[in-house]
Amino acid sequence: MLQVTDLDVYYGDAQALWDISLTVADAEVVSIVGSNGAGKSTLVNTIMGMLVPRRGRIILDDVDITDMPGHRMCRAGVAIVPEGRRLFPAMTVRDNLDLGAFNPAARARHAESLEWVHTLFPRLAERRAQVAGSLSGGEQQMVALGRALMARPWLLLMDEPSLGLAPVVVDEVFDAIETVNGEGVSIVLVEQNVQRALDISSRAYLLAEGRIVLEGDAKEMAQNPEVRRAVLGV
Amino acid sequence: MSELQAAIFGALGGSLFGLMALGLSMGWGFLKNINLAHFAMILLGGYLTVDLATNLGMSPVATIVITAPLMFLIGALVQAGFERFDVSEFNSLLISYGLLIITVQVVTNIWTADYQRMAPEVNPLAAESVRIGPFVFPAPTLLAAGFAVGLVVLAQFVLEKTYAGRALQAFGQDRQIASAFGIDHRMLGVLLAGASGASAAIAGMLIAVGEPLIPFSPFDWIGRVFAIVILGGIGNVQGTLYAGLLVGAVSGVVALAWGPSASPLVVFSLVVLALVFRPQGLFPRKAGH
Amino acid sequence: MRRDRGWIALAAIGVGLFLVPVLWEVTDFAVFYLVFLSGILFWVAQATSWNILSGYSGYFSFGQGAFYGVGVYTMAVLFGRHGWNWLLVILIGGVLAMLLGLGIGALAFRLSSLKGEIFALLTLAFPFILAGIVRLFDAIDGGQGVVVPVPSFPELLAPFQKFYFVLSSVVALLALTVAYLMHRTRYGWALFAIRDDEAAAEGLGVPTFFHKMIAIGANGLIGGLSGAVVALNLGFVSVEGTFNLTVPLFVIVMSVLGSRNHWAGPLLGAVYIHTLQNRLAAGGFEGWSLIVLGVILVVLMLLAPEGLMARFTRRPALAGGVFVGVIATLGLLRVWGDPVSWLAAALGAVVVVAFLPGGRTAEKRSEETSVGRGASVVLGEDLPAPLLKVGRPIVVAADVAKDFGGVHALRGVSMTVAEGELVGLVGPNGSGKTTLVNLISGALTPTSGVIELDGTESSALPPHRIAHLGIARTYQIPRPFTSLTVRDNVAVAIMFGREPRRLDASRQAAGEYLNLVGLGGLAEALPGQVNLHERQLLEMARAMATKPALLLLDEAMAGLNPVEIDNAVEVVRRIRASGVSIVLVEHLLRVVNQLSTRIVVLDQGLVLAEGDPGVVMKDPAVVKAYLGRQTDAPGD
Repeated sequence: MLQVTDLDVYYGDAQALWDISLTVADAEVVSIVGSNGAGKSTLVNTIMGMLVPRRGRIILDDVDITDMPGHRMCRAGVAIVPEGRRLFPAMTVRDNLDLGAFNPAARARHAESLEWVHTLFPRLAERRAQVAGSLSGGEQQMVALGRALMARPWLLLMDEPSLGLAPVVVDEVFDAIETVNGEGVSIVLVEQNVQRALDISSRAYLLAEGRIVLEGDAKEMAQNPEVRRAVLGV
Repeated sequence: MSELQAAIFGALGGSLFGLMALGLSMGWGFLKNINLAHFAMILLGGYLTVDLATNLGMSPVATIVITAPLMFLIGALVQAGFERFDVSEFNSLLISYGLLIITVQVVTNIWTADYQRMAPEVNPLAAESVRIGPFVFPAPTLLAAGFAVGLVVLAQFVLEKTYAGRALQAFGQDRQIASAFGIDHRMLGVLLAGASGASAAIAGMLIAVGEPLIPFSPFDWIGRVFAIVILGGIGNVQGTLYAGLLVGAVSGVVALAWGPSASPLVVFSLVVLALVFRPQGLFPRKAGH
Repeated sequence: MRRDRGWIALAAIGVGLFLVPVLWEVTDFAVFYLVFLSGILFWVAQATSWNILSGYSGYFSFGQGAFYGVGVYTMAVLFGRHGWNWLLVILIGGVLAMLLGLGIGALAFRLSSLKGEIFALLTLAFPFILAGIVRLFDAIDGGQGVVVPVPSFPELLAPFQKFYFVLSSVVALLALTVAYLMHRTRYGWALFAIRDDEAAAEGLGVPTFFHKMIAIGANGLIGGLSGAVVALNLGFVSVEGTFNLTVPLFVIVMSVLGSRNHWAGPLLGAVYIHTLQNRLAAGGFEGWSLIVLGVILVVLMLLAPEGLMARFTRRPALAGGVFVGVIATLGLLRVWGDPVSWLAAALGAVVVVAFLPGGRTAEKRSEETSVGRGASVVLGEDLPAPLLKVGRPIVVAADVAKDFGGVHALRGVSMTVAEGELVGLVGPNGSGKTTLVNLISGALTPTSGVIELDGTESSALPPHRIAHLGIARTYQIPRPFTSLTVRDNVAVAIMFGREPRRLDASRQAAGEYLNLVGLGGLAEALPGQVNLHERQLLEMARAMATKPALLLLDEAMAGLNPVEIDNAVEVVRRIRASGVSIVLVEHLLRVVNQLSTRIVVLDQGLVLAEGDPGVVMKDPAVVKAYLGRQTDAPGD
């Protein structure tokens, strides 16, 4: 359902990604792992439309979304859970969720979506009037995930969800990811924590210095010493 | 006149300046434009009110039916222009200053540099006053205060309760992520600028009802309005109104105690203190960013 | 390098101004021209002094009216009311305005929150405050206005218009000279660096507070002198006439129109605006003057925001030629107008030149100077023998912690960097690496713990003093001074580094550092014209130019392709070979392993492991930190 072919992405005059090709099938969880600076966030931002690739195509369900401007991506069915959560800090949990459903198609199903999100994350219903900036890291991650789900996406892009969170909280977050995937949402998971990511994915891509150096079944990659070599350099 | 009356009277008058400051503050906070043309729109709104009321026999207050949509359009066009040419914050200041002085000159050429006021038959409100308790207030002042408070309440409501308003807040807090969820900043920006323009037209009408206008009036307003924007907190809707009331009240009491020349001295010293110790504004932010 | 010919222009202006009254005595042209020129000179002084602060340093001021007003009222009160000696009063007016400026600076520049627009708003308030004070106290004005009688001046300078012209010339020349000298010395260059990136400038050793105070002091002094002089011409001063928004706004328009980067920019703007206004009034077009001004402002900001002087310097011969040509033609033909009209026409014609495309810009880099080839340039021949033994500690961090409002970025890190080492500082995202670098360089102060640099405790020192202790750093996203050439970026670092030199010597010496990193061929390019890798190399060259003992390289290889990475590794080796110790913060672990003598691994704000690269990176704790919890650990 998502097909990325031969992507070259630049930041200004500096090339960040070379020749990236990947696919994500319906209701799949695909991980993109690699060390920092490898280009994972760049890739996510490109799929999300915040960066325009200089070469290559991005096709979502037969619709070419390569040149689509950022604010239309939501309508196309892609939602993002950004690195660092990036909730609207001075607004309440409820407002953050509501804004996830800003685009017209999602807004039509707002009530239904809100109920779904509250079922998945009951704590969000409790904390609906709390200002987002005052929540703990783990709670913020849940809200960010909920906000993205309010957009009723087909494809969810998650950028480093475990960043800055205690291991126990990371457990909760990854459980939530699996639940969401169980509801039929495809997920592209960008993670620094390689093992966790590979645990819940069906397939994975290893990114290093802007290129895909390894790809395949997640369980196989977990056993592959190449992964460690690429990340740790030894 | 007692201190209390001076304070209340001053506060009511200050609310009008708060209304004037509102459009400027919102544009600055959300759109990163310091739009001096806002003052041009207030000026034009005032002159058009005088003109329409005098020549077409409209009630002065009713003229906003024409001037508000007109200024909405002008405000939206200016913002669209800023977007189209990708104007930086500093350059927006200079360009809007250019627009302001062009407007001042055009107004002078059309309506002359003399004081313009509506004749008593045209503007009966100017002569009326209302007794509230032990105090007597001129009708124009109460009208201005009423509109100011009403518009601020409306703005607050829109910001907090409507999707567009909350989208604007979100945009002010995290532009990129707001865009990722479909919030098109260009459309929002143009709408906000249009709304500011409409508020300018209303402010212009209220000024015209209360006092005579000359083309160079905006230069008298700039100081106080900026003081209110700073004290209220840039982009803080309620704060701007409160700051207007505060500045008005302080000015009134100080003028009574030490003479009118002392008011700007006190107000701007307050501004300096605020900038040093609380640059985000004196009042907490409920909405805005 | 372009020779500086500005002093010729300045000298010509000085001589010209001196000659004008002489010429007037001889040819007896209309007094009107003296008055017209005096008007221009007033604005030249005001706009140039504004530009010294706001144009050069970027600290935008709305408060010129305050300095001007202090000058005016000093003259009005001390001379007008109390009959003091007018010459003395002019000086007092200047000094008082300067003290006001220093006071505002002391208030505003100390607070780091007072940047940009907040500073501008602060300065906006002061004319209003002064107006209030002046109006309030009868001893000053009391709202009535003050009469300023005609002073008694030497017979040589009679009549009054000539006397006033001479005074105006002196102040204007002073303004231009100060602006020019600052442009040619470290004082101006510090301001340019501050304008482009104040934090980076601080980190290179520029004492930013000191130089900003000089700028605002000069602004105040000249604004006040000029105000005091003009009061003599006004004859009567009032609060409304003095403290309105005309002066503050016009100086901005003139400087922006003329160019804020150039010492003569405001001069140009003043000539244009004053001539324009004069001609419109003379032609009976007063009703259009503001419209024309407004249109010019709008069009200019949209099409040529860098100002006219910036455009003229691309085609100086053509601009000058057209100007002289138009005036000469009109003057010889004498069929239309008077000299001021000819001036206006010439100015208009030159504007057309300004908008012609092309002309000389900063030399564009040629295809020849790509990095690969640049890297093959042999290094500077005079490198000292490589330092092999590890010596005294340069940085000692003891139990350093840093909190950001609840987020524990660093939780108690102790480490040492000794002379001769190349320490690799690594760790997963969010481990605190950049925070540690910021603490060592002085950009941040520790919440707890102590950092000693070369034996001195550093937490109370401003970043520029830490730079002088021998610590230099680069930024992950390069922060060059964008309006300065590559060479000048390095020259600034030399001017304010540990072995400071003067402007020309610094520009010369900059070449050595550019060759070290392989940027020699790009010396005259602007940072915006070179690619990312070259900007990173510029960061390194600039940091090296301060002659540090320790260089902190913060992710200098981010975003590079493999060829560029290899080149960067080579440059880092050369830097080390020149005797500088290095802390290398990197994600690219294969590079760190290649280069480091020792690796320190941070995780979640603490030191996880340190030691030899080959050993540390195989430590299970380190592997776990990077890859996460291991389910089935692959074979070693």
